Amino acid sequence: MDRLLRKRLETRFDGKLLGPVRQRHDETEIHVGTADLVEIMNALHDEADLKFEILADLAGVDTGDQMQVTYHLWSEMTPDWLRVIADGLPRDNPRIPSLTGLWPGAEWMERETYDMFGIIFEGNRDLRRIYMPPDYASFPLRKDFYLADDAARSPGGGVRHMEQTHVPAQASPNAVRRTVKTR
Amino acid sequence: MTASNHHQPHLSSDDPRIMLDGEIGQFESVPPYPPRTEREAEFYSLRDGEMFLNMGPQHPSTHGVLRVVLKINGERVVDLDPVLGYLHRGVEKLCENSDYHHIISQVDPLEYVSSLFTEWAPVMAFEKLLDVTVPRRAEYIRVLTGELLRVSSHALYQGWMALDLGGLAPILYSFIERDEIVEMLAAITGQRMLFNYFRIGGVNGDLNHEFMSRLGDWMSRALKEHETNIGLLNENEIFVRRMRGIGRVDRDMALKMAVTGPNIRAAGVPFDVRRAHPYSVYPELDFNIPVRGSNGGGDSLDRYLLRLDEVRESLKIIDQCLHNMPDGPIMARLPRLLRPRPGRAWAAVEAPRGLYGTYAISDGTDQPFRMKIHDPSFVNMQLVGQLMKNNLIADTMAVMASLDPVMGGIDK
Amino acid sequence: MTQDGREASLPDAVAANVSPAADDTALVPAGERAVGSPIVVPNTLWTSGREGAYPTGSSSYLHLASLEGSDLMLKDDARWGALEVIPTKADIVVDLIRMNSLWPLLSGLACCAIEMMSAATSKNDMDRWGMFPFRASPRQADVLIVAGTLTTKMAGPLVRLWEQMPEPKWCVAMGDCTCSGGRYKRSYSTIEGIDRVMPVDVYIPGCPPRPEGLIYGMMKLGQLVKERRGHWDEHVIAPNVPTDV
Repeated sequence: MDRLLRKRLETRFDGKLLGPVRQRHDETEIHVGTADLVEIMNALHDEADLKFEILADLAGVDTGDQMQVTYHLWSEMTPDWLRVIADGLPRDNPRIPSLTGLWPGAEWMERETYDMFGIIFEGNRDLRRIYMPPDYASFPLRKDFYLADDAARSPGGGVRHMEQTHVPAQASPNAVRRTVKTR
Repeated sequence: MTASNHHQPHLSSDDPRIMLDGEIGQFESVPPYPPRTEREAEFYSLRDGEMFLNMGPQHPSTHGVLRVVLKINGERVVDLDPVLGYLHRGVEKLCENSDYHHIISQVDPLEYVSSLFTEWAPVMAFEKLLDVTVPRRAEYIRVLTGELLRVSSHALYQGWMALDLGGLAPILYSFIERDEIVEMLAAITGQRMLFNYFRIGGVNGDLNHEFMSRLGDWMSRALKEHETNIGLLNENEIFVRRMRGIGRVDRDMALKMAVTGPNIRAAGVPFDVRRAHPYSVYPELDFNIPVRGSNGGGDSLDRYLLRLDEVRESLKIIDQCLHNMPDGPIMARLPRLLRPRPGRAWAAVEAPRGLYGTYAISDGTDQPFRMKIHDPSFVNMQLVGQLMKNNLIADTMAVMASLDPVMGGIDK
Repeated sequence: MTQDGREASLPDAVAANVSPAADDTALVPAGERAVGSPIVVPNTLWTSGREGAYPTGSSSYLHLASLEGSDLMLKDDARWGALEVIPTKADIVVDLIRMNSLWPLLSGLACCAIEMMSAATSKNDMDRWGMFPFRASPRQADVLIVAGTLTTKMAGPLVRLWEQMPEPKWCVAMGDCTCSGGRYKRSYSTIEGIDRVMPVDVYIPGCPPRPEGLIYGMMKLGQLVKERRGHWDEHVIAPNVPTDV
């Protein structure tokens, strides 16, 4: 919960953050748009008082409405983890610039995100499937990809709560909250 | 071998470049389909004197099912392309459809050699979501069992390193060590391998008499056995000459490739999650972080020696845990049906292979919305492509083994 | 009938009872790219001596030891065509040889591989029963111990390994994932049990099975080898005897 870090981020990236800098426990979270992503990442990596040199994780997220890509960074300047959420990728054509120019080690993580979600990383030299066979047709971690024997969609109905998938088959629009509610 | 009238289905592999017996004589240009990416075009075009060698998913090295397509020119490897996915089990999707408690057993087989760490990170993330404080005794037990498993994992690493270079004896010593530690852990967890021991809010069972007696017995011999294991290989000229100078990673390359764990510490970067971002009771424990290769980077031998140093540090930590073990409950009181607040949490631990992290998104129901698992071996394997340029084929296995990959985590 | 020689096609009675290509075991309807229905290799090397052995669960297996000295053993030309000069106990000796030197193929896929290696090393030593040399090449191996989850991507190479192994060969399914899919039964990319793609002789459940469990399974396999019980009907390696004996 590093207040100094929050001040630094707010002053440095004033107009580009899509929302306030949130902090909880030992994590700081910022939301950015895909257009500003590379510039912000370069700034986070290079600037002397930020120096986020270690990319800990690159995750794709499919909230029901849109897709996000989430990066976790670590710097020796601050005791917090920094989470950068690139928001607003449309579900039918999710494209985001790639970070392989800055961290070549992100290549495989982006391949994995592409394989699981279909998010296209522009600038990744090797964006092909990494886990599934190369001629696999779907993207498994999307919310509209259901596991094969999903009991919730079986004629039995999936009565027990463990058998309900996150989005029940016959959900009414109000019954299921499709976006992650944050405070 | 198969009968002549037997209709052999055309079991083409997923890669049309692989030629089966029946197709000898028919040569396909490489690649037969238009390359899908830039890197594919670059890799799958052969220059004069080059050929492909496929180290297929089944191979004598013991890391698991990894396929590496080598482009070789004589004995020199010009380029290589690892093909993953032969063990992809869809763990993240299964986690999205499981209870929070069930996830602990789902993620066990990811780093199957050191599976307590794979449980630790999700459990920490869920505890952040639930704002649960873990009792101190449970934290100490977690650290104790974790460090024991780290010693076991590094012992196995020594054995596999030697096995991949052709030495068949050290792995027997490694497995003796591993068996002892794992029987200890079986006394408290009930399982030799995929422990399913950590719980949200603590651990499952307290230490018992059998565990303590085995542990005491082992600790009295541990350092001496460690010295023996070191003596097996460190002065073996073949071993040292095959490892020295191979696979040199320097600080910039390590940071750029997002490598963590002993691989980055052997490149001169003192990044260890236990000290950089302390969790659990590590701030109270006195241990050092060994770092090698501070000038110019580290090669495979440095990575090997670093893991031996880490074993010594782990033994120190185990000792301190035993002496300072507090009394108290081993699990926080939690309802059985867990519905954390909607939100996001990230937690990372220092697994024997690197930074093992979990990013959990909760939406208020009893199943997580998204569970992303960051496995260190996955990013470490990218180093192989960088390190293998212009080395011999036999060094491929040395480099790959020195990075200590575990295919369960790489393929999730 | 089977006695009359080794035709290339399956004997009728056997074919009637063979159910390998049933639809419920096919992963993907035929015609699509997949491992598909289990590969049925018609047996031209060993004629099946016991038609309908498995599905009807008929006669108890004949022990070769009970045929000692009978002239049935002399006429056991199922595999000793050119070697009739070998005395009758050769079968038993050969089976003992096979049983005590089963060389596994190094086919550890996932976590169970660690327990397999643990069973092969110092504390639980499989070398006592002759199984230490884990051959890297399928051409030299007898047993395929499938240890670890089989995924759809790996199924092709694994079946190709199985096909490359020369007869006689046996398959051991080690661990829950290979017996039935185990904890990954709902997953989109695993195969629920390797008996969907290859014939299995011994199933060793456990997640992972203890090394002692694996050794017990290998002992059972040794018994199978000695009694000449194979996996599929076509591969039943049995003396060429009529059923009314």
